[in-house]
Amino acid sequence: MDFFLLLVATGLVSGAAYGLIAMGFALIFKSTGVVNFAQGELVMLTAYISFSLYTTFDLSFFPLMLVTIPISMLIGLVLERLFIRPMLGEPIFAIVMVTVGLAVILRGVTIMIWGPDPFNFNAGIPTEVVYVGSVPFYPAQLYLIGALAVMTFAGWAFLRFSRMGIAMRAVAANETAALLVGISVSRIHAVAWMLSAAIASVAGVLFAANFKLAPDLWFQGLKSFPAVILGGLDSVIGSAAAGLIIGLIENLFQGYVGQGLREISGFIVIVIVLMVRPYGLFGSKDIERV
Amino acid sequence: MRTGHFKERTGQLVALSDSKVVWSFVALLFALALVAPFVLGNYQVTLLVSTLIAIVGAVGLNMLTGTTGLISLGQAGFLAVGAYTNAILMMDFGWPFWLSLPAAGVVAALISILVGVPSLRLKGLYLAITTLAFAFIINHVILYAEWLTHGPNGIFVSGAKLFGFDIQKGKPLYYTALGVAAIVVFAALNIQRSRIGRAWMAIRDHDIAARVMGVDLVRYKLLAFMVSSFIVGIAGALISLQIRFVNIDVFALILSIEALAIVILGGLGSIAGAILGAIFLSLLPEAIRLFFETFSDTNSSFYTTYVYEIRGITYGVVIIAFLRLKPEGLIGLWRDIRKYWSNWPLAY
Repeated sequence: MDFFLLLVATGLVSGAAYGLIAMGFALIFKSTGVVNFAQGELVMLTAYISFSLYTTFDLSFFPLMLVTIPISMLIGLVLERLFIRPMLGEPIFAIVMVTVGLAVILRGVTIMIWGPDPFNFNAGIPTEVVYVGSVPFYPAQLYLIGALAVMTFAGWAFLRFSRMGIAMRAVAANETAALLVGISVSRIHAVAWMLSAAIASVAGVLFAANFKLAPDLWFQGLKSFPAVILGGLDSVIGSAAAGLIIGLIENLFQGYVGQGLREISGFIVIVIVLMVRPYGLFGSKDIERV
Repeated sequence: MRTGHFKERTGQLVALSDSKVVWSFVALLFALALVAPFVLGNYQVTLLVSTLIAIVGAVGLNMLTGTTGLISLGQAGFLAVGAYTNAILMMDFGWPFWLSLPAAGVVAALISILVGVPSLRLKGLYLAITTLAFAFIINHVILYAEWLTHGPNGIFVSGAKLFGFDIQKGKPLYYTALGVAAIVVFAALNIQRSRIGRAWMAIRDHDIAARVMGVDLVRYKLLAFMVSSFIVGIAGALISLQIRFVNIDVFALILSIEALAIVILGGLGSIAGAILGAIFLSLLPEAIRLFFETFSDTNSSFYTTYVYEIRGITYGVVIIAFLRLKPEGLIGLWRDIRKYWSNWPLAY
């Protein structure tokens, strides 16, 4: 039983990371219709920037995030302006390929700036073990789960109540109609990239604090795809929940089926979901069949 | 400008080319390719072999992504399947190369059915993600099926023979790659002008319209997957000959992106474009290396430390630059030049 609880606990932790990264994917897909293949690289870049801030100014966690998030949003805005905006009106395939190109560029630049060696980065979070019931947690793990909860709630409230959030849903539903009622679609796109970069920075810093800050951090972006697909590409809240599910599945597979299966169990889930329910658990159902 | 040039029969419309100039240029290029290894040094020949393999792989991917419009981010997986099939059949089962080469293609094509069937309902981004997922699954299966693939130890490939020549180095390897590339390109050109190729293009342009016109979507999409993967599998087998040590690290995600970069750079849907793109992108890292080596030693050590990063950044820049500035690719550039040349001094 303890083994099971431990698996569930670690599953929720890695699932929270997947959920956060998947939220970033879903936010951009929802408002721009583009799968941002550079999301993992965004996570990596912002985590490294946060690491540099941390070593320079020796901040504790919350002040560190207060500095990191605006910088990340600025990066998101700049990337959108430089790479995505000029492609407005081009086919989706072309824009997605631009994000693939952007991904390898960001990855290369990050490794060239910070070098190929991993760093230990605790992001100013205490390291004494905390017990929740009988299960031991590192504070960083609890921060990660807490961050997912906060982000999910904030995301829900933003999309539900704020003017910008409602405009974003309008753009997602029908871009032309949104333009006609006076919503600046290009501004919505920029906001989506900024918010997505902000979520990416939270995910990146907390992931690095839990595991380590290494040049293969970008791979977490690809590993979050199962969560995005399971939640539905256009469901921000759904992908957060799906992240937890994928994290649990991975850890239970590893614990009870076999070591090697951890890495691919998520991708097997992708294939099954796409065959059975291509719009995911919470996504909108608009796939045409031919 | 050519005038008085009429096409009166369907045969003339679908002919590969009715221009004697084009045929003589192709013949000239082929003759140059035949004498090249006698003129060039060992290093350049190795580079040419990589280029030829890239051409084979690019023609295969182009069939799926360019002609049929199905985006695949899983090329590395199929290359791995081809390379491993060839290596296992040659080294563990003692098959001769002339038999294990097509077998590599066949196995890759069979596995592509596994990818193709779940992908039939998917389009665009969903398909790209599924193929990506399959590439990961294939890599892990190869890593963990140690009884078959030797897992993380990899496989040494040696002693491949064809007509009594050792085809793993120098000129014999070059001629093998050249022969395979020539056959693949010729076959691809002919498939593209047949009913199958036209059906693929119809699916790419509008799948519902294609369905209405009587193109069986399931059949032709699966066929596109299979033919493309067959060719990519053969490219993988050639890679296993050249690198001599098949290991899963060779077939990383960056290879899939490189393949897509080649196809986009050359011009989607055009075989000549895929060839141009493969040549350009295989020689580009060399140009960059030369650039770094001409400058001081510090730059050179910077280059050797970050060779993969620099390469990745180059691919990224090339992809973005072409999508932004010239979405038709190199072949579009060539068409513009040709039009300008034949219409001069008129603009159109």
